[in-house]
Amino acid sequence: MRRRTYLQVAATLGAAGLAGCSASGAGNPDVVLPEPDREFDSSDLPYPAWGERLPDVTLPAPLADREVALRSVDRPQLLTFFYSHCNSVCPVLISALRNVQTHALNEGYGDEVAFHPTTFDPERDDADRLRTYGEEMNVDLAAGNWRFLRPASRGRAEEVVAEQFGVSFERTHPEEMEVYMFAHAALTLLVNADGYVERAYREKQPDPETMIADLETVRNG
Amino acid sequence: MNRRRLLTALAGLGLTGGSLLAVSQGLPGGSDGLSVRVETVDAAGSEAGQLGLPVRGQPVTVVDLFATWCAPCREQMDALGAVHREYGDRAAFVSVTNERVGGTLTRADIREWWQRHDGNWTVGLDPESALMAALGADGLPYLAVVDRSGTVRWEHAGLVDADTLGDRLDRHLEA
Repeated sequence: MRRRTYLQVAATLGAAGLAGCSASGAGNPDVVLPEPDREFDSSDLPYPAWGERLPDVTLPAPLADREVALRSVDRPQLLTFFYSHCNSVCPVLISALRNVQTHALNEGYGDEVAFHPTTFDPERDDADRLRTYGEEMNVDLAAGNWRFLRPASRGRAEEVVAEQFGVSFERTHPEEMEVYMFAHAALTLLVNADGYVERAYREKQPDPETMIADLETVRNG
Repeated sequence: MNRRRLLTALAGLGLTGGSLLAVSQGLPGGSDGLSVRVETVDAAGSEAGQLGLPVRGQPVTVVDLFATWCAPCREQMDALGAVHREYGDRAAFVSVTNERVGGTLTRADIREWWQRHDGNWTVGLDPESALMAALGADGLPYLAVVDRSGTVRWEHAGLVDADTLGDRLDRHLEA
């Protein structure tokens, strides 16, 4: 809806005045990537999607001993939501992000991007656990661009991950296991340096090559 | 909050299963036939170089997708080793990881992982996930049996035991 209003305004003003900043992000001056091909608007979605601003959230980064205000990150960032005891989807999400991190380090743009995988299982995912998990996943934790984020409590995880980011998760108690697991949605976000969502990847296995290409456009935007 | 929940359902951002090894079944094998090149790594039973898949001159190629971080992939190596011992003279075996080498992961790490899990056949790299995409693999471990024309005869997401894989190979080697 908002987008249509904007486009009407743009049409009235004429294309020339806006072409400079929105040549590729046609329709929204806050983003560089074009609107994805889809049958709905971002405002219809439960999660922050193309052209929308990130929720105004600050989360602890336990390995860095600091807090990260997501809107204040001054470079493009990739976010995803996971728990470390997960054996199916989460390692694939983390691995995809890790592949992007490695590309960034190999290609010399490691300090132009930030990675913020966020756990929704703060009870088990403490600093030690996250460090071990990062090492197992071959994440370069010393590179300075990767920060695991951990909401301070179970309630805060619900508030931030489920309510603000629209990533639903529910505890499950598989019969053959002594520990609880989660059924959860998969979402990875590419956010530009101004805090606007450029892409929301919903795949359980987001393609690192697509993310690398999208990230390059955003970095150069 | 309720609106978000409702919209979650409407928008199809469904919950994924909480099961252990669950990875979604990939798409059916492409009808055009598999044709992918991978870099191979110097490791036990494997030489550094390039290899086209399916492997030329072999009736079938067993493709195993793995990652060094993937716990069930370690488990999969036992069954693969057993099947390789029995069928290694009649079929090509190739294990491929889509992990990008760099940062804290080197080729030596992959070689070490391979040795630790008794790998003794070709191990390769697919950093751009071309093979995973070609197979429509949506998780790990992932196994495929590919014939000489590149047609995927069988594929499976998640752990496979040696008997099952052996049966599949029998079927296609006799055909």
